[in-house]
Parts: sequence; C-alpha cells; structure tokens
Amino acid sequence: MSAVMEKVMDAVDLETFLVCKDEEEGKKLSLQLMEDLGFKDVSIVFIQHQGPGARVRLRGYVYKPGDRYGWLKKE
Amino acid sequence: MPVQKKKVLLAPLDPVHDIGLKMIKRGLEQAGHETLLLPPDYSHEEIIKAIIDNKADVVLVSRTLGYGVAEILGKFIDLAEAAGIRDKVKIGIGGMAIRPELAAELGFDAGFGPGTTVQEALAFVEGREYIPDEVKGKKIKKDITEGYDYTFKNKSIEKLLDSIVDGILDYVSDKTTAAVQRAELRKKILESQNESEKQSLRMEYSKLCDETVRAFYDSGKYREKTRPLSEAELTSLNNYVLEVNSRMNPLKLQHTEENPVVFIQYGTGCPFMDIAHIKSCEAWGADGVVHFDPSWGARTEGFFEGYITHEEDGSVITYENLKGIKDSLSPSTLWQVRAHRGLNTPETVLLAGKIGADLTKINIAYGSLGGGTDPERLTVDAVRAIKYAAEYNMPFDVVTNEELCGVPAFKAFAGMLIVSKLGLRLGGRPILQPLFCYSPEVMVSGQMEDNYVDFNAAKIMCLRNIVNAPIWCGAPIGFLTQTEDRVQSSLMTALHASLASSLGVDAISIASADEAFSGGPISVPARIDTLRATQSAFRFFGKSDIVPTKFAETWAREIESGIETVLESVAKNGNFVDALYKGLLGSREEGAYPGRAGSGTVIKK
Repeated sequence: MSAVMEKVMDAVDLETFLVCKDEEEGKKLSLQLMEDLGFKDVSIVFIQHQGPGARVRLRGYVYKPGDRYGWLKKE
Repeated sequence: MPVQKKKVLLAPLDPVHDIGLKMIKRGLEQAGHETLLLPPDYSHEEIIKAIIDNKADVVLVSRTLGYGVAEILGKFIDLAEAAGIRDKVKIGIGGMAIRPELAAELGFDAGFGPGTTVQEALAFVEGREYIPDEVKGKKIKKDITEGYDYTFKNKSIEKLLDSIVDGILDYVSDKTTAAVQRAELRKKILESQNESEKQSLRMEYSKLCDETVRAFYDSGKYREKTRPLSEAELTSLNNYVLEVNSRMNPLKLQHTEENPVVFIQYGTGCPFMDIAHIKSCEAWGADGVVHFDPSWGARTEGFFEGYITHEEDGSVITYENLKGIKDSLSPSTLWQVRAHRGLNTPETVLLAGKIGADLTKINIAYGSLGGGTDPERLTVDAVRAIKYAAEYNMPFDVVTNEELCGVPAFKAFAGMLIVSKLGLRLGGRPILQPLFCYSPEVMVSGQMEDNYVDFNAAKIMCLRNIVNAPIWCGAPIGFLTQTEDRVQSSLMTALHASLASSLGVDAISIASADEAFSGGPISVPARIDTLRATQSAFRFFGKSDIVPTKFAETWAREIESGIETVLESVAKNGNFVDALYKGLLGSREEGAYPGRAGSGTVIKK
C-alpha cells in the first residue's frame, strides 16, 4: 500500500457520472473503474440511472474495523 | 493603550465581488477607523493611485476569482513596490481564492482565506494578534435534563402510571437474576485492591456467564471474530489521541441557543476505529456520542475483559474498551452507553457509571418487545439498572424503537412513559426519546403521505401536553427517509434536525450519510456529511419555525388519548410483565414479539 493510502482513515469514495445505457451496465463499469484504480474491497454505495447515464458513489475500503491501521503507525 | 485610528482603503480586485470588504468596512468603522471602499473592477494602477492620493495606512485587497490569481496579485505587489509605497503601507489580501501561504509567497503582509472573520481583519489593521472569541465559540457540556421538573400536566395519565409502577416494584421485590448478581460482582472486582480477591471474584462471575464468556475466564479463549489488541497498538492509539487532541478546535453546530445538542452513534466494532470516528465527529461539531455494542452482546450472559476488537458491527463492552473510549473524549462531549436491551443491562449501566458516562439508555418495553429480551427478565434487570443510573447520576433516555417493528406511537409512548415514571420513582432522570422517523405505522396509515412534518410534530406536541420532561429525538432522526445517495441522505437528516429544533426538543441523534447503505462499515466522510448538513440547516432556519398543518394538533390529541387507553388496560391487567406478554403495549400482529433471550432465568430470592 502506498504511503498516502495509509493515511486514509477508512475508505475512498469516488463520485462520478458514467455514460451507460442502463443500471446494469453502470454497475459493471463502476466495478471495473475501481478495479482499474487498484481498489480491492469495493462497494457500490449508490447508483441511479436516468437517461444519459448513471450517477454513482463508489467506495474502496482501505481499512475496515479490526484491521491494523497505517495512520496509527508512528511517523 | 488606546488603538491608533487608521485610514483603511478597501479595494476589490475583482469585476464584481466586494461583499466581504463591505462587511469588513462596517466592522472597521464601528471600531472607529476611517475607511474608503473602492468600486469593483478598478485596474491595478487605479488602486495604487487611490492609495497614494488618500494617504492610506492599510490596504485590504479582495480577490474571489481563482483564475490567474497568483499572476494578478503578484503584479499588484510589483506595482506597489515600483510606486514606492510597499514599505509605507500595510497590505493584506483576502477572499475565496486566497490562502495565507499564497499571500506570504507573493509578498503580502497577511492573507485571509474563506471563513475569515471581521475581527481577524480588524486585528490586522490594528497591528495586534487575533485572539478568537473563546467564550462564544467554546463548547460546554450540556445537561439535557436541566430545567425540567417532570410535572405531569395530564393528571389521569400520571395516576395510571403511578399504579402501574407500584405493581412493577412489587413484582420485582422478591426476584433477582444472574445479570443483577454479575453486576454486583463486577462492582466488587472494580473496587477490590487485592489481586487474589479479584481473581476469586472473577471465577464466581464466570459461573454466572454463558459458555463463550466462561471459556474466556477459564482458558483465555476469545469469541470468534474478536481478538485482543496488542500493546503496540494501544501505544499507537494513545499517541494518536494525544496528537489529535493537541490540535482539536471543534466546530459548533448550533446557530442559536434553541438548537438541540447533536449526538452521533458509533460502534464500528473496533475501539480504535470508534475513537477515530469520535474524534472526527467531535472536530466537526458533534456534541455527544452513543456507544453501540454488538447484537450478540445482547444475547450473551456476561462480559469479557480487556481491550478487544471485533470484526463486525458493534463495539464489545468491556471495562477497558469503554475506559479507553472515555479517556479519548473531549471534555465537552456527552457520552452515552446504551443498556436498553439484552442480558447485561445492570452491568452495562454499572460500568458506564463507574467510568463516568454522562447518559445511558433503558427501556423495558422496547427491549422486551423489539429487542429480543424476555419481558420478565428485562423488567427485573432494568429496575436494578435504573437504580445504578440514579446512583451514578446518569440520566437515561427511554427510546421507542418498537415503533420500527410496527407498534403504533401511542402504544410505544405508553411503554416509554411507564419506564420514565419508574425511573422517577427510583430517583432517576429519564429523557423521553420518541422516534422521529418514517415509521411502519405511518407507512400503513398514511399520516406522512403529504409531509414528514405533521406526525413527527404531533408526537412532540403530545408529549409536551403530558409531562414537563426533556425530549431527545431518536434514533437516528429521519430514519427510513434516507437513501444511499449522500446528498439526499444528508438533506433528510438536516431537515429532520431543523424540524426537531423548531419543536424545541433538547437533543437529537443523527445518522451518517451511509445510513441506508448496508454493504459495509460507515465511513468517516459520511459522518461529516450529515454534521455539515445539520450545521447548515441550523444556520438557515435560525430562530424561525417550521409550521405544521392542523393535522399535527389533531394527531397529538389522538396519540394522547390512545396512550391513556393503553395505560388503562395495563393498569386493569394488574401486572406489567404480563401486559407485555399479552401484547397490551404492542402486539404480535403489530410486529412486537416478546423476546426469548433470558426466558425462565428470573430467580426467586
């Protein structure tokens, strides 16, 4: 994990608008996008498709409760 | 020493934006300084000429637009140098596009970014250090129950409650439970100075526990999905808390004195992550935090010991975990440890009291009808728990979560009032906690078809008509109106917060913007979203009110009358515990099922 990612308290949310034909395609694109960005533990928090595409809020968990958090390490 | 009056020139280096300068101008004039505000859209040269012509002592330049800001401001300073005024005139720059670092880099005497106050600009003009108004901004821990005398305005309801409470106290007088005994042992363990005595008390304690907890005391075995925290982790956490506390300057959510205190609920499973969430929420203005324990904790007899982390929702209650959390809190933060359901209610309240919690949560009706605990067991346990709450001077809220099962508000409120009256009788300070949400009752009956205002308002109006008691809307407000969209979710929370404030309640519990998301843990940014939204809503409404329609009063009267009818039936039944089993305070048809955890475990003394 990069030094910057270790400073993320818990998760990185990515919000955007994906051009796609329906919600199903939006979901596939969302997961692909997060995978391309290197996130391992990914959730689609919110997706709504209307007309041109899908408004999405995607989440990559960096740390979940019970993990050993990088931001707790001494500098 | 009197402040020397200055001649201050205010110059918007923008095509149109000069509101900030106008506000500062007013502040400077009130402080006795002479000011001259130039119109927007002056060229650099025109501003420099105005400085020279007016013999200004101080110049405040504003710049809102961010495009090309460094070049534009750099040119302004160069021209001031060339005109020979740079060393004679103090020049400050402020505005949305400005950061102090940029101002210093470009050669300004000061830079004021977004959020700068008039007082800061005044301090710069007068050449003194800016000291924030500490008293005004300082957060003070508030006693939610202050000013309430619990006088019943509805005397017939009070009479019924007194009769039911008499029955409860009589019923429990010859009964005890393993939970009551464990709490007594825990108290001795905590108060003992002798390690071998502690050890023998622990062995006695373990005999009153479930197998999983007993295995911990007998052989050090942890429950699945839990583990002890290491020394290194604990040291890191202490360092983290010390470091964060040294730079804490919490925001204040309230805009007026009438705004309620705002609680958030934590329970990530891990005490470290809990503390991380708590510190972030405190920084963003949360006034109080509520401890959530794991759902299995409610169905397990006995508590573990030590610092324990948990991979799922809910943070394990141990003395050490709670103490660690308590020690991390800011002095102004209200801390509540919930004990409203489950098989460890007395010990939970005891631990909370010993460690210094401000509040706890106890409700027999909800805990046994919607929380899964046997009514008889919880009644005996809760009476002991309320006594501990009174002993440790902890007010407790009585939440009506059974509304979420489908129990109508009037029945849930009847249960809430019974437990509140019981609390008063035992020397406690109960806080009414009606749900402030889109409950199943209204989904079916349609009271919220038009708006979310009237029925919520009716609940508060009804309670105010019955008794002079503190009200804390829960939990969380707006529940079942939020979606996974963080903007919609935050807005719903903020609107409910404003409605609660308009109705004059004392406290609210708010969700995060992740409230409707069930695919993973709540994130810290999602918590900050709703805190910010609530703060903005309080600012928006100020002391103005939200006006419900005429239905609110009608429904308030209907709820009050319904409560009285329910209490009459409970009083007539003669036995509160039996009334819970029979469904008088919420029936199976309505979604309330008497809990089975702890069934048949009450012991005759």
